[in-house]
Amino acid sequence: MSGLGVNGMGEPAIALRGIRKRFGDQEVLRGIDLAAHDGDVIALIGASGSGKSTLLRCIPMLEVPQAGEIFAAGERIALRDGQQKLDRAQQAAVQRMRTRLGFVFQSFNLWPHRTVLQNLIEAPVHVQGRPKAECIAEAEALLEKVGLAEKRDAWPAHLSGGQQQRVAIARALALKPRALLFDEPTSALDPELVGEVLKVIRGLAEEGRTMIIVTHEMGFAREVCNKAVFLHQGRIEEEGPPEQVFLDPRSDRARAFVSSHFNRNR
Amino acid sequence: MDFAFLSETFFKLLAGFPLTVNLAVLSLAGGGVLALLLNMARASGWLGARFADFYVFLFRGSPLLIQIFLIYYGLGNFPAVRESFLWPFLREPYWCALLALILNDAAYTAEILRGGFRAVPRGAVEAAEACGMSRLTRLRRITLPVAIRQALPAYSNEVISMFKSTALASTVTLMEVTGIARAEVSATYRAIEIFLCAAVLYLVSTLLITRALRLLETRLSPWLAGNRA
Ligand SMILES: Nc1ncnc2c1ncn2[C@@H]1O[C@H](COP(=O)(O)OP(=O)(O)O)[C@@H](O)[C@H]1O
Ligand SMILES: [Mg+2]
Repeated sequence: MSGLGVNGMGEPAIALRGIRKRFGDQEVLRGIDLAAHDGDVIALIGASGSGKSTLLRCIPMLEVPQAGEIFAAGERIALRDGQQKLDRAQQAAVQRMRTRLGFVFQSFNLWPHRTVLQNLIEAPVHVQGRPKAECIAEAEALLEKVGLAEKRDAWPAHLSGGQQQRVAIARALALKPRALLFDEPTSALDPELVGEVLKVIRGLAEEGRTMIIVTHEMGFAREVCNKAVFLHQGRIEEEGPPEQVFLDPRSDRARAFVSSHFNRNR
Repeated sequence: MDFAFLSETFFKLLAGFPLTVNLAVLSLAGGGVLALLLNMARASGWLGARFADFYVFLFRGSPLLIQIFLIYYGLGNFPAVRESFLWPFLREPYWCALLALILNDAAYTAEILRGGFRAVPRGAVEAAEACGMSRLTRLRRITLPVAIRQALPAYSNEVISMFKSTALASTVTLMEVTGIARAEVSATYRAIEIFLCAAVLYLVSTLLITRALRLLETRLSPWLAGNRA
């Protein structure tokens, strides 16, 4: 199920075409094409403000782009020229797509009024409509996997940042998603808590999960990804296998960015 | 001190207590539902927001006593009201007082709830959107429960305030605690003892309400237990 063998064949898990996004006068995404096939781990890197978060958030339509086509988890949403709002059919498609994607936020965003276990079963039970007992059993297994089985009944407010982020990852996994999207999952953490979260994500990569990861952890990105994408001012400036993008980038900007980050971080 | 008279008065006033509680509970329930509707109107767009603003301005900006009088003495002047199916209700002081209390409570509760909604972390809502929750499920499972928890401390004041406001129903002949007290005073002219008795009844009630709501707060937000003075 994992592996590069699948790449380039069959229906991609995620495919973006011609994505453009403006905030007011500012063009943040200027025509992005990107595809993730099953088993791909894509590292999305780039300077702060280059549009990484916006791009990632466009996939489940947390931001609605002005133009382009999004195909994700079997749903296609093609924006028509000049379209301001999604129509009913598109909204329904977005809703279905979202239940099949896992999104992990920089700031965890756990639901404060639910315990850890309740956070995990909320969407499976109340969105996917699956039997509660089954969801609880799966949630417990997921907590085991992220090393938080004993926090089952804890409140989010009582967890460290690293623990909250691991719960958030488990919550995303509870949807049994086709792909996982991470937006700087360790940027809000104290340095000593980064490792425990990266370890979980690395484990997911080894399982062959399809993931797009926005991160500034260059060493980690290089190790886990099979494809790296460097974003600059709303355009893909460089993309390719990690050896190329991290070690021998063609673009000068990518070279400058990568070298400054490797020097800074490791 | 005439303890025999005091205890006799106390039991007389107690007879009005069920009506006081009845008015308080129903006005809070009705006001709560209306407050939620006002907040949904506010979220629906410009027109709904202006309507909610105007409603709050109207009912928070004028005395509750005037609102009760306007409904009780005023509505009957309109033939349309007298001929409507509502007239059997609106001619009754009980329904007029209750209506005024509900409308008034809704204005205050709507503002409290609005504060609660504003305090819901944006990220929690976004996480709900990201996993495909519909608007209604989001409201029911995430936004409203979090907003209510945020609003509860402020709402406790409103509950107590409403409980005491039911005393105004006595001005339109309702025999709740204050109504009975006033009647007793005109019969015996022993104002101090009687009103003191009434005050004690209200004091004990608000004490119990405060306790109960504090308990509800810790029940609903156990993670805050101990963090709060
Ligand atoms: N909701 C928004 N409204 C206005 N501007 C935004 C919004 N979100 C992002 N931007 C702007 O878009 C640009 C790209 O942001 P972002 O995608 O967050 O970059 P990155 O994640 O790469 O740091 C930034 O200049 C940012 O200020
Ligand atoms: Mg970002």
